Amino acid sequence: MNVISRGIKNALRSPLRSGAIVLMLAISIGLILSMLVARGSVNSKIDEVKSTAGTSITITPAGVNGFAGGGDALTSTQLATITSTAHITGTSASLNDQLSSTDTSLTASLELGNFGARQMRFEGSSTPSSANSSPSDTTITRRAPTPRTTVTGTTNPNSVSTNGSDLTLTSGETIDGTSSELVALVGSDLATKNSLVVGSTFTAYTKTITVKGIFSTGNKFQDSGIIMPLATVQTLTDQSGSVNSIVAKVDSSDNVSSTVAALKTALSDKADIVSQAEQAAASVSSLESIASLALGGVIGATIAGAVIVLLAMIMVVRERRREIGVIKAIGGTNRKVVGQFVTEALTLTVIGSIIGLALGVAVSGPMTTSLVSSSTSSTTSTSGRPAGGPGEMMRGGFNQISKNLTSVTSTLTPTIFASAIGITLLIAVIGAAVPAWFISKISPAEVLRTE
Amino acid sequence: MLVVKNLSKSFSSASGDVTALNKVNLTVQTGEFASIIGKSGSGKSTLLSMLGALDIPTSGSIEVDGVDIAKLSAGKQTAYRAKKIGFVFQHYNLIPNLTALENVMLALEFGGMPAKKRKARAEQLLTDVGLEPDEQLRKPPRLSGGQQQRVSIARALANHPAIVLADEPTGNLDSETGKKIFDLLHHLSRSEKTTILAVTHDMDIAGKTDRTFKLKDGKIIA
Repeated sequence: MNVISRGIKNALRSPLRSGAIVLMLAISIGLILSMLVARGSVNSKIDEVKSTAGTSITITPAGVNGFAGGGDALTSTQLATITSTAHITGTSASLNDQLSSTDTSLTASLELGNFGARQMRFEGSSTPSSANSSPSDTTITRRAPTPRTTVTGTTNPNSVSTNGSDLTLTSGETIDGTSSELVALVGSDLATKNSLVVGSTFTAYTKTITVKGIFSTGNKFQDSGIIMPLATVQTLTDQSGSVNSIVAKVDSSDNVSSTVAALKTALSDKADIVSQAEQAAASVSSLESIASLALGGVIGATIAGAVIVLLAMIMVVRERRREIGVIKAIGGTNRKVVGQFVTEALTLTVIGSIIGLALGVAVSGPMTTSLVSSSTSSTTSTSGRPAGGPGEMMRGGFNQISKNLTSVTSTLTPTIFASAIGITLLIAVIGAAVPAWFISKISPAEVLRTE
Repeated sequence: MLVVKNLSKSFSSASGDVTALNKVNLTVQTGEFASIIGKSGSGKSTLLSMLGALDIPTSGSIEVDGVDIAKLSAGKQTAYRAKKIGFVFQHYNLIPNLTALENVMLALEFGGMPAKKRKARAEQLLTDVGLEPDEQLRKPPRLSGGQQQRVSIARALANHPAIVLADEPTGNLDSETGKKIFDLLHHLSRSEKTTILAVTHDMDIAGKTDRTFKLKDGKIIA
């Protein structure tokens, strides 16, 4: 029998007390592990959300949101300013317009509905709807609101995609956004409605446009529209050099905030600037608070665990003061006595750890889920923004971020497991170090004084 | 041979310094069985703790076979206790969760005996003090007072000590058992040629030892 086996044997000397200590330790170690898992999972989700948010910045004319609002379109000078801003690696610009039935041979595939009718109620305000006309108004010309077809003139047709990847073409080929040809990509709904196929032509702005491809985004608004080269739309609508949406790519996600700030300074109040990364950062703030809460939990549970072992060992040392004196009196060195008690503390910690880690593995999943779901319900309601048009693409991204926030899955990685074991050892060391100091202070003469 | 010269020990207390031992001088020959008698508070236990290197004297010297143990470093004092000294206590002071055999083996471990030889030596010692093999495997709470003191004596003798210091070895036993324990100590001091210094208040026992020192107020008076 040596120091180690004596220590282990002593740990089991009082089964009831050892059981209580082990149980308390197991609970705190279980809590440490589940908090570490929650923190790790939430942190990886934060990174994921931030990375999927991308590095793009959307710049729109101040006061414009989709087809709502008012103000001046962005100019080619402003586009040049944006392009020359530091960290911006590329831009795609777009100009949107709407074709009414008088502008085009196409029949809009989007039903007007109540929403559309309300959006158009101010147009031609001096011409009340003929549907509601009374006999006394018959002298005034009226026009019923008609559904319109959205035209997106863009330097990069892929920017219309709603899922962040390239635009999906169901037939034909994409168009060169930088050209000024009379070509178009037609949304699948619009193509079906007008029986358009690749090679078909249609009239818009009195010109004949050739269909180069049919695209499908799964978004009814987009699939009812037309994509044309930016210059073509600018020429056809007499808005040379104007754009009403610019998406700028930043070289690194770390530079998004500074680039947004630089653009805001350069464009002053002429443009509204938003970045997905900034929005994502705001959206993940609740997850970040969970991560810091979990870290607090880890620290708290570690302290609790260390205090449990510490108090238990102090109690044991006080109780066995005479026994320690005897061991020293018959020639036991401080090292041997301390070694025996440290082994005893370690044994309790190891048994507590095994139970606690098993407990942690079992509860970490449900605990992470409940922490995240109760905390992000407030976040999801903050991301909605009204109006349609080009803003749709950005909103799609934000909704995806919100969905991501609630889908945190707890993952127990080897690193987290190793951290939990490391913390447990720390508990054992702290819990045993102080009693060890007490032991070294016990005089062997104790054995005679208490006689 | 044990030679104590001008040994003094003072303690600081709330009411001032207390002199527990005052210039004690004594000599005990190797293999001698000596006893120390005195009233409670006369300094018996303090003297024993100095001789056993459990405490450090304020002044004076304690020479065991020519080595002044009062001047040894803490590490060497521990080694001295392990190899040169055997203790027998009034309350036996066995480790309660170790068997009688393991208690003796513990002393052998501290004495530096190789692990393989400890068990045989401990069994031999326990047999010598009169413990049956089945009793040797019992833990102290399952042994009688007399049996526990026998184990304590076996533990004290484990490393062939130069001196066995016994603090009231029969104080907790009935007179018949006490006599047997005394006879055992006496026998061992003869057969093992071990010096034994026993603190006692039992005059019968003191009378049977080779020499008796009487302590009063920290001084040897006879």
